[in-house]
Amino acid sequence: MDSIKEEKRLLRVTYLFCIISFFNIFLIKTPFDNVALIIGGIICILMGYSNFIVRRFFPDGDKYILIFACILSNIGMVMIYRLKPSDAIKQIIFFVVGIVIFILIVVILPELKKYVKFRYIFLVLTLVFISMPTLLGAADVNGSQNWVHFGGFSFQPSEFAKLFLIAYLASAFSKYKNFKQLIEPAFIVMVSLGFMVLQKDLGSALIFFAISVTMLYICTGKFKYVLICLLLFSAGAFISYKLFGHVRLRVMIWQDPWPYKTNQSYQVVQSMYSIAWGGLFGTGLGLGYPGFVPINDSDFIFASISEEMGVLMGFAIMILYFLLFYRCMRAALFAEDKFSRLLAVGYSAMIGAQVLVIVGGVTNMIPLTGITLPLVSYGGTSMIITFMALGILQKISEGGR
Amino acid sequence: MNDISVGIKKVLFVFLLLFIVVISYVAYFEVYVAPKIVNNTDNKRLWAKRNEVLRGTIYDRNKNALTKSSRVNTLTQKREYTGGAVFAHVLGYVNPSYGITGLESKYDQYLMGANDMSIVQYLKEFIANKGSVKKEDKKGNDLITTLDSDVQKQAYNLLSNTGQKGAVVALNPKTGEILAMVSAPSFNPNDSELTAQWKSISTDKSRPLLNRAVSGLYPPGSTFKTVTAISALENISGVMNQTFNDTGGIRFNSKYALNNFGGEVLGSINLKQAYIHSSNQIFGTLGLTLGNGKLKKTAEDFYFNKDIPSDGIVIDKSRFPTYDSSEPGNIAQSAIGQSQDLATPMQMALVASTIANDGVMMKPYLVNSVISSTGNTIMTYKPESIGNVTTPEIAATMKEFMRGVVTDGTGGNADISGLNVCGKTGTADHQDTSNARPHSWFIGFAPMENPKIAVAVIVEDGGQGGIQAAKIAAGVIKTSLSK
Repeated sequence: MDSIKEEKRLLRVTYLFCIISFFNIFLIKTPFDNVALIIGGIICILMGYSNFIVRRFFPDGDKYILIFACILSNIGMVMIYRLKPSDAIKQIIFFVVGIVIFILIVVILPELKKYVKFRYIFLVLTLVFISMPTLLGAADVNGSQNWVHFGGFSFQPSEFAKLFLIAYLASAFSKYKNFKQLIEPAFIVMVSLGFMVLQKDLGSALIFFAISVTMLYICTGKFKYVLICLLLFSAGAFISYKLFGHVRLRVMIWQDPWPYKTNQSYQVVQSMYSIAWGGLFGTGLGLGYPGFVPINDSDFIFASISEEMGVLMGFAIMILYFLLFYRCMRAALFAEDKFSRLLAVGYSAMIGAQVLVIVGGVTNMIPLTGITLPLVSYGGTSMIITFMALGILQKISEGGR
Repeated sequence: MNDISVGIKKVLFVFLLLFIVVISYVAYFEVYVAPKIVNNTDNKRLWAKRNEVLRGTIYDRNKNALTKSSRVNTLTQKREYTGGAVFAHVLGYVNPSYGITGLESKYDQYLMGANDMSIVQYLKEFIANKGSVKKEDKKGNDLITTLDSDVQKQAYNLLSNTGQKGAVVALNPKTGEILAMVSAPSFNPNDSELTAQWKSISTDKSRPLLNRAVSGLYPPGSTFKTVTAISALENISGVMNQTFNDTGGIRFNSKYALNNFGGEVLGSINLKQAYIHSSNQIFGTLGLTLGNGKLKKTAEDFYFNKDIPSDGIVIDKSRFPTYDSSEPGNIAQSAIGQSQDLATPMQMALVASTIANDGVMMKPYLVNSVISSTGNTIMTYKPESIGNVTTPEIAATMKEFMRGVVTDGTGGNADISGLNVCGKTGTADHQDTSNARPHSWFIGFAPMENPKIAVAVIVEDGGQGGIQAAKIAAGVIKTSLSK
């Protein structure tokens, strides 16, 4: 009973945040922007309804996963609406689709452990998606070649590849007995990383690696494997640094962005100005200049949020992500079979690593790589993939009770 | 099974650590890095913030607009300088690429300061507009300057017609108001022209960006005899009744000699005649009689070697050297405005202005009042004395002397019938280029009985002071007083 009370209290605060922030947007536009109020209302209803369904029909699952996901999406939609209202409306559609997929996975998907046998299907799908941009010849978007266009529709295959790779690894690692079973997955991971580097998608490569190592460690429990992986990764990183100009460029910008601030390091310098301008408490919604930051509603949304809502909001987002990550890992702890467990660990690590890599990137703590902040950034692929992963995690959390 | 739980806990711990590291880095960034980078010139937010407010207008004393600001879009505005090159140095410019200079810089806070709307007013407008008070509607404060457009234009035209470099300063001696301040060569401060010509004007040897009126340091030549005369009147009793024998020059040793301009021999004369005819010999001798200490003190009373208090402008320090008594040649030279004497045109205008104002130096200023966009007066400038440099009696004597220069002496070209112009010419030797013609100087004021304008004119390499500079001074005075 207590837990339901807590959840409801958290939800009420979320509605309050949603209403206050959209009311703020309503005020800052001249004339008053009525659409903002309507959108705020719609988001509240969506969040309320989805949480109601999950609580009502699947009371055994972990409800916090959905609540945290809603809060983060909500922060993102507020910021996107302030930056570009037309994108915010699309983002709400992505959010709705994401939640529908989330609920469908929870409702329709039979017990997950049955999927362990689809190992080679996952393997093929991983390779198909990972190689798609290279084989089809993808257009260059913000310096990476990781988008594929089908008619008027475009998406990032690497996002889907991530999902299938985790499923494949979970399936492969669940058969782990000794070193021999690790050779095949190791090879697949290396091939995937190679494609990522070729597509100049270094951020995804880093995340692929982080996920794989985490899953490997959970599976084997042997620290020496982690060490070997790190050594191999360092060697790979060094070789690609020597081989590829775009890798050297990223490192050069990271070491000292200031001499190249008008061209190569323009993005990260603008992002740093943005975060610096906001200070601890931010300029206030609508009172900053996030418009100067490129891709400000996607890769750099953390900078935009920090500028207008303050770095304190940035900290809050980080803490929310960690709590989400914790709830997801917790699901793994209660899962019964090895496959589900590894799946949960993989998807949790995916979300956690993505947050660390992009937040570290926009502040120039680590070399900047263009990836999205899950749930917060504008973008359909990212939103849907994350909700798919969360749906699977929700399913796993249910099985555990 | 159990070991997997342990593994999960370890992974959780590692991720927690990584999250803490990233959060700490962001905090470190905000505390240590942000303050260092936020004011970088390429941070567009600085200009965006400035452009939230439509910059106030700068007017001349008769409320003629000298600038015009208009919105281009929310974050950019266009500043037009209606006077172009004529007002370029005194007003300066505001330009995202080249910064802010001149009055624009000095009064930046007022010009970009938002209006004085009260909270109640703000809320009323807020609700009436169905939204926040538009950023576009915020207007900066206007400045009413002391400048007289007609005088400024006349000074600019006369100076630029000579084709030489130089400067003109015109003051109201009673208040210190700057009526005109011109520097040649000039440049067009308007945005597109400035961008187009930046490369040439910033590298040109004639330095068009330099405001020669306040930053040009020139040997003052014979105009400095005014200061020497005052020092003599103050320090040598009975100097008025003394008779001097002018033989055309003095010789200190085999190396140093001081000769009158053109080798003129004036014979037996008194102080007034020596001043009127600008005798180098007599004033050199007076310098030696006074000694470096006394002459320097008088010069420093006139703010040589000191920062002149001012408002709306920045004046470079004029210089008067220190010499040991074993350097009679230099001491004599320094008494006639040569040697290492260096003065800005503004400094010399203040010398004339102080005599015109009976020995009281007024602080030069450029802005009479600041008016908010709603019409309220935010600040009014009150004239301020910056020192009783000399006595009214000595000032009266000097007026007679300076009147004599125009009626009977070297300054005949500055005469305007019915206006009783007083003045002093200067022909200053310099070594800027070998075999260059001397600089042509004129300082003066008018009318003698009730001075309304004091001027200083320098035409670089302009030759004799009594010709080019005196003519420009006459033109400027005439324009100012004919109203």
